[in-house]
Amino acid sequence: MRRFLITMLILIINIILQSTLFNLIRIHSIIPNTALVVVVSMALLRGSPEGCLTGLGAGLLHDIFFGSSLGYYAVFGMVLGYLAGKFNHGFYKENYLLPVMLCFFSTVIYESMIFLTGPFFYGYLNYPYFFINLILPEAVYTAVLAIAIYRILFSVNEHIEKKEKYKRKLFSIKK
Amino acid sequence: MNFFHSYKRQILYIVIVILAVSALVTAGRKRKATVLDNTLGFVITPAQNIVSTVSSWFGARISSIHDDTDLKSENAELKAQVEILKSENKRLSMYEEENKKLSGLLNIAQKYPDYDTTGTDIIGKDPGNWYLTFTVDKGTKDAIAANMVLTTAEGLVGRVTESGYIYSKAQSILDSRSSVSAMSLRTGDLGVVKGDYTLMNDGLCKMEYIDSDSEIMKGDEIVTSQLSDIYPPGITIGYVKEIVRDDNGLTKYAVIQPAVDFKHLSTLLIITKNFQKDEQQK
Repeated sequence: MRRFLITMLILIINIILQSTLFNLIRIHSIIPNTALVVVVSMALLRGSPEGCLTGLGAGLLHDIFFGSSLGYYAVFGMVLGYLAGKFNHGFYKENYLLPVMLCFFSTVIYESMIFLTGPFFYGYLNYPYFFINLILPEAVYTAVLAIAIYRILFSVNEHIEKKEKYKRKLFSIKK
Repeated sequence: MNFFHSYKRQILYIVIVILAVSALVTAGRKRKATVLDNTLGFVITPAQNIVSTVSSWFGARISSIHDDTDLKSENAELKAQVEILKSENKRLSMYEEENKKLSGLLNIAQKYPDYDTTGTDIIGKDPGNWYLTFTVDKGTKDAIAANMVLTTAEGLVGRVTESGYIYSKAQSILDSRSSVSAMSLRTGDLGVVKGDYTLMNDGLCKMEYIDSDSEIMKGDEIVTSQLSDIYPPGITIGYVKEIVRDDNGLTKYAVIQPAVDFKHLSTLLIITKNFQKDEQQK
């Protein structure tokens, strides 16, 4: 329950910052996708089910405040959370290489899915243009920011895990 | 809990299908915000408001340091301009009086009436790179509804796509999903102003479907036309920056420099009369 509330709080803080403060750090009007970093990090730290839920939450928030239909971004968030969660097993959580790489590739996948399903696909059909001018810079920018955000979420996760362990011990003594 | 674990994959598929269907069903619908939207709005909108106020305050401080050197020359320039505008304003107000009298005599309604407006602030911008939508801090509480038109003193900004209780979502005219029926003020040629991704980041948009025989030129003022059921006629959109002829030679399009500076928007005016609704009621 505590974990659920903290994840929700992180997502809400993220969308507030993304829609206000992060507009100031646009480089050539490209803004990094920090929501995706949160989803990928959560999935890596906790596995597919929680990655799915985080993706669902992040997508729904985006849908409600900026989307034109309910569920559009939520589907993409869920799928990416699920896929990133597959890497949960067998990786050192202290290692930054995998989260950064995953953030890069999930941004590419996420934006490509938006391109394929959005009005751009019907209007332009020139994926290379969008890949070079939008998707690639965004993915690089996101991957760079992922280092800092993953570090924060890593310590948040560690903190919660410690609390949970303590609780479990408490219960076992009572038994 | 066991149930969830054994049917994890099935549950995932079902949720994805439900979301996909809901995305298709609700796509593009001008709707009022639901209870869920409004509850989240109560949490997020005030926070957005505070953060965007603080960040725009700092942004203004930083840019004022930048601009300090130019201030003196700019001030002198502006003073001269004010004098010119003052005299022009006097002349125009005389025209207005005359116009009112004459149209009163002729018994015709004003073509470009004053619209009722309320002021509003932008509190959040779409955190994605594809679209240009934003949230403003007025909603159904202040009688704002979908399809109301957003302007500034300079010209057209966009329209409201959805309104919650204390916030509204709006779409800028630079967004690639937006299209506005427009005409050239000088020649009366009709066209459609559309957002275009390749131009959006430079703050420009496109006017399409212009007749190839039309005499539209660089520098012409583009305003909203009477054909639109959402936008009231006579609102300045921008000025023609460049005319481009299509490959087939039958049509041409114009690149429009909007009258509004989209990079530095903060306070907007909402025209609080829903033109589409009026049409339907008739």
